[in-house]
Amino acid sequence: MSRIALVGSGLASFTAYQTLRRGGLEPEEIAVFGTEADPAAQWRRRAAAIRQREMRSESDGHCLPTSFPGLAVRTALRRRSPAPLVASVLDRYHPTVDEFLAQVERLRARSGWDRSVRSARIERVRAAEGGFELDGHGVFRHVLLAPGHPGLNVPEKLRGDPRAVHAYEPHEYAPTVTVVGAGLAAATEWLNALAAGAEVVSVRRREPARRPLNVPREYFSRRGLSGFHRLGAEERAARLRTLLAPSYPPGRAFDEPLARAAHEGRFRVEDAVNGTRQVICATGFRRGFRHDPLLESLVAEHALETAGDWIVLAPDATVAALTDGTRTLALAGVPAQWAFPAADTLAGAKYVAHAFLRKVEACPTR
Amino acid sequence: MSYTLRGRIESRLAALLPVVAAACVLAAAEHRWWPVEAAGLMLGIALALDLQAYHRLLPYQPGWAALPLGLLELALLVGLMRASGVAAPLWQALALFGGGWLVAQILGHAGFPLLRLGYAEDGGELGRLGTLSAVFVGVTLAAAGGTAYALLPPVVHLAAGVHQGPLVITHREVLVGEPGAVVRGGIVVRASGVTIRNVSVVGGDNGIDVEGVRNTVLDGVSVSGARLNGILVRLGGVMIKNCTVDMLGNEIGKGINISYTMDMGMTMVDGCTVVGGMEGITTHSSMTEIAHNQVSRTRVRGISMTEMSMGMITDNEVRGANGVGIFCNDRSVCGVQHNTVVDTRSDAASGNRSAAGFGVLVSFQSEADLWDNQLAANPVPMGAVTDSLIRKNH
Repeated sequence: MSRIALVGSGLASFTAYQTLRRGGLEPEEIAVFGTEADPAAQWRRRAAAIRQREMRSESDGHCLPTSFPGLAVRTALRRRSPAPLVASVLDRYHPTVDEFLAQVERLRARSGWDRSVRSARIERVRAAEGGFELDGHGVFRHVLLAPGHPGLNVPEKLRGDPRAVHAYEPHEYAPTVTVVGAGLAAATEWLNALAAGAEVVSVRRREPARRPLNVPREYFSRRGLSGFHRLGAEERAARLRTLLAPSYPPGRAFDEPLARAAHEGRFRVEDAVNGTRQVICATGFRRGFRHDPLLESLVAEHALETAGDWIVLAPDATVAALTDGTRTLALAGVPAQWAFPAADTLAGAKYVAHAFLRKVEACPTR
Repeated sequence: MSYTLRGRIESRLAALLPVVAAACVLAAAEHRWWPVEAAGLMLGIALALDLQAYHRLLPYQPGWAALPLGLLELALLVGLMRASGVAAPLWQALALFGGGWLVAQILGHAGFPLLRLGYAEDGGELGRLGTLSAVFVGVTLAAAGGTAYALLPPVVHLAAGVHQGPLVITHREVLVGEPGAVVRGGIVVRASGVTIRNVSVVGGDNGIDVEGVRNTVLDGVSVSGARLNGILVRLGGVMIKNCTVDMLGNEIGKGINISYTMDMGMTMVDGCTVVGGMEGITTHSSMTEIAHNQVSRTRVRGISMTEMSMGMITDNEVRGANGVGIFCNDRSVCGVQHNTVVDTRSDAASGNRSAAGFGVLVSFQSEADLWDNQLAANPVPMGAVTDSLIRKNH
């Protein structure tokens, strides 16, 4: 009988599943609730929409529980070339989207994932004796909620505008395009539209930060996280807003085509949307637990502590009020940013998964 | 990788485990302490840099940084080994460091992440393994240091004044002469691992006699009035440095005589001053380095390497020999480099044609390579006789 439930069947849940399997749990001991059996389905659609070819993550950007062997090692072995390893040592290796997805497929096939997936959308989680009751599917002692992003964010002014399309929705490019936003999706769309021959206007509220990963590297380890976890609620929420501001990687891959297009008069920055024929909203996702019915009801029914857009979590991404030595409720993916600012990355998924496995292993009855 | 301070140190100590183990094995195999001393220095350098520099300067340490940081640590290691007098063979020391560096890279990139799921996000912290590593490295090095200290030979101080010899040393010890300490009648060394420092010896058949023992060091000794040899080494391993041997008036004696030590490894005579005697410094069937010595006024030969000896004769000054300045003889192989040989006199009148005042003489199927020697005021600058060969490289 399953004692462990993963709510959500996306990449965060999939990473947790791989970690639990590595911890010795059998597929029959884990129930995965989701609407799609393919853990990369949602991510694949979004990556295809912005025509992403390369991951922002590095060699360890995969769903395996350990960082080694990373994708650079696997690619080097497959190509019989040390080049990926050298690039990785220089922090210049980024797996292709195809390599990443192929790895997900392999893991899915060999880990027994499909045997654990139950096609169901969980809309309510309630603390019960001996664990958590999941929407009529039974009580589970250890539950990881990985509901994913709570929908695409379209600026209010553009809702209903027939020119507007979200970057993560399928689209082509008009001759004149405004891209709203300043993150990696926006930067990718600038290049896509320019490559399609469009004239591009970038509309953004602030200059984007340029950094290799979503947040500064020290926030991927205890070095940066210890101080972050010590912050008070208000300070931590403010820090999160700063850390999660839009950014995209530095480098010539972006700078050169943009400089060339600006020189040709095909790329410019403006303050507001003007009369272009197409407006692409590269504005990410809606933010905050209130946009997710499952999380909103969880908070309301259990009177959980919140801070701004976030549910307050312990450093190991568990909901402290509902977790003890006998049961665990943890969040993964974007709702876990309170514990790990880059929670919506693969590294974040690993972080939560490792902590979740520790909780499961520490429980005498699992 | 963004290390925490604790993670940095734990990863470092765990990666040093194989190095410390290898150093202990090497030390046991070679009966020398340098591997353990080197491992200790590596640990000290690593911890100092981790605490004082790396943690502050490198909030994130990219993979490529391991190379320049490794080279920095290697340079510091070599410098400290020299400064602290750790006598390590260079290539072996480099191999120990290089092997340790490589193991650290493999462990850091592959071993530790496989061993501990949260290695990266924990900032390199290893939990119980980190603590155990610290204990093991600390205990091992402390035990090795304690053993080394316990095995140090006792130091015996020889008081100022004249001590009647012969003084026979039968246990490993360091004999240190106070200023004005003189042994009359010679010193006989009959134990391995003996060091004699700053002792003057007067008389005796042999001033200092080292036979059948290893690891003898004669440092700053002074010998005069010996009847046969100022210093005699037979079937022993010895390092002689900064000595003075006075054989003036003795026409048959030898200043320093090293014989049949081929099986005992390299013997060295460095920085000595020898005057008088039949030969200044002579080797028989030995592998010897003779360097930075001053030899003068010998009755027959200044420096002689003979009877299938091998070695280097380097940066010596030979003056006023009566016959031959530097002699390479009897199937010996000699490297003769940067020496000054002047004022050699001919003794051909005695009927010995090989004593015709050669600066350098190579004789009886011997070979000598000569580099940059100053041969002046010698009746015959150099010569090779009886199937011998001189190769002049400059």
